[in-house]
Amino acid sequence: MSTAIRKPFNWRRWRLVVTGGAIVGTILLLAILAPWVAPYSPFDLNVAQMLKGPSATHLLGTDELGRDVLSRVIHAARLSMMVAVLASLVGLVFGTLIGTLAAYFGGIVDLILMRLMEILFSFPAILLAIVLMASLGTSIFNAMIAIGIIFIPGFARLARATAESVLRQQYVEQARAIGMSHTRILVREILPNILAPLLVEAAVAFSYAVLLESALSFLGLGAQPPDPSWGNMLNTGRGFMGVAPWLSIVPGAAIFLTVFGFNMLGDGLRDAFDPQLRDE
Amino acid sequence: MSEPVVRIENVSKVFRQGGLFNRAPGFKAVSNVSLSVAKNRTLGIVGESGSGKSTLLRMVLRLIQPSEGRILVNGAEIWSLRGGELKAMRRQVQPIFQNPASSFNPRQTIRAILAAPLEVHGIGSAAERRERITTLLRRVGLDPAIENRLPHQLSGGQKQRIAIARAVILGPSVVLADEPTSALDVSVQAQVLKLFADIKYDFGLTTIFVSHNLAVIREVSDEVAVMRRGEVVEQGEADRIFEDPQHDYTRELLAAVPSPAFMASA
Repeated sequence: MSTAIRKPFNWRRWRLVVTGGAIVGTILLLAILAPWVAPYSPFDLNVAQMLKGPSATHLLGTDELGRDVLSRVIHAARLSMMVAVLASLVGLVFGTLIGTLAAYFGGIVDLILMRLMEILFSFPAILLAIVLMASLGTSIFNAMIAIGIIFIPGFARLARATAESVLRQQYVEQARAIGMSHTRILVREILPNILAPLLVEAAVAFSYAVLLESALSFLGLGAQPPDPSWGNMLNTGRGFMGVAPWLSIVPGAAIFLTVFGFNMLGDGLRDAFDPQLRDE
Repeated sequence: MSEPVVRIENVSKVFRQGGLFNRAPGFKAVSNVSLSVAKNRTLGIVGESGSGKSTLLRMVLRLIQPSEGRILVNGAEIWSLRGGELKAMRRQVQPIFQNPASSFNPRQTIRAILAAPLEVHGIGSAAERRERITTLLRRVGLDPAIENRLPHQLSGGQKQRIAIARAVILGPSVVLADEPTSALDVSVQAQVLKLFADIKYDFGLTTIFVSHNLAVIREVSDEVAVMRRGEVVEQGEADRIFEDPQHDYTRELLAAVPSPAFMASA
């Protein structure tokens, strides 16, 4: 046992992180364990059980081909999570790289990189995604890349602003004065000191990625049937709104919960990392 | 007379203002400054904030390029150096910065901070580096166990001792100090200045020491240059400047020092 005096856990400070984390954790766990958790295969057709409402055998009812909606919504979480993780990662990695380089080298490098980012920024996200999908071809992997590209300018701006404030610190001048190489200064002195706000941004991007993926799949540009995705489930559900509202409500609720959880986590992390709010 | 270790010849620095399309005339931070420092001597540069003294120091550190003029260290013009020669110059010239709060990467331990210059210049094995860090920490009056701490766990005085250790770890010939004691309170300031003087003597350093504090400048300097609005208004032997100032501005500065008793004791 440690005898050191520990600060008591500050519930007020961490409540958003804990609640958001719990929601996100549950969804992630369901996604990972989908084949074991889901009561049925998401692909099994049962024409006799078409469009049945929630019941003991099918907790959330069945769709127009008699597939179990609960099983499909759980399997769809896998796809959504995978797209969200990878798209956020693409945005985080490239955005950080571009923003940090722009801040570090300044001048003409900064001018060119940031103007490029502004051009990307000036397109509405969903339109940009559709254009990218049209040129890359329709597949879930390309949807992921397209969403990642949409995220790059946001991360780049944040990385640039944060890196600029770190660059003004004397330890960066010190590093230059001892002859440290550019790469080493970037990796050793700058990156570790700009990471916290970028990770918070990543949590927010994550929830946005879920939404975008759903939107793309809804438009038929993301996950391709019969693979279940929250977006294409919504799209199918739309046709049966009157007779089988659960087909729309279930994936809609899944999207809502996920976005809610990630936003909460992101906001909570931002507050928890803010030194100004540290000891209230 | 032997060649000075640091020689600043007619150096000016103009900072461009305005953006891509509107060219403002630019701000002249340093204007036609010539100074030199002989081996093992200390040049004190004194002036109020905005006088261009820190800009001048950054140019000698090869962090900012002069708009005009030449800067020579050990006879070589530093802005014409490339590759190995530049690296050798980097090893010879080391800085100590003003603000102990921002001159260390907050996420690195003291050991990592002190090891960085050795790693960059590929000096010694890991064990030899450790050995050198331990020795130096003792030399600057700190417990070597401090190497496992992070910068924010140290006091201002401890941090400036580390900064001094870092400045000499490569065995440089020139150390450039930018107000290294201005963020410290007076008693700690005196200890750090004493350490600085001892280290300077032990390592045979040639130093330039920038400060707005006349008492500090008088204590550390052999020669003094007084700067105002980017120009050197007066320079000479420290004793001469303090006892027989020629320029009006130098007299003003001396008259503005609050307590002569403090100056005498510093």
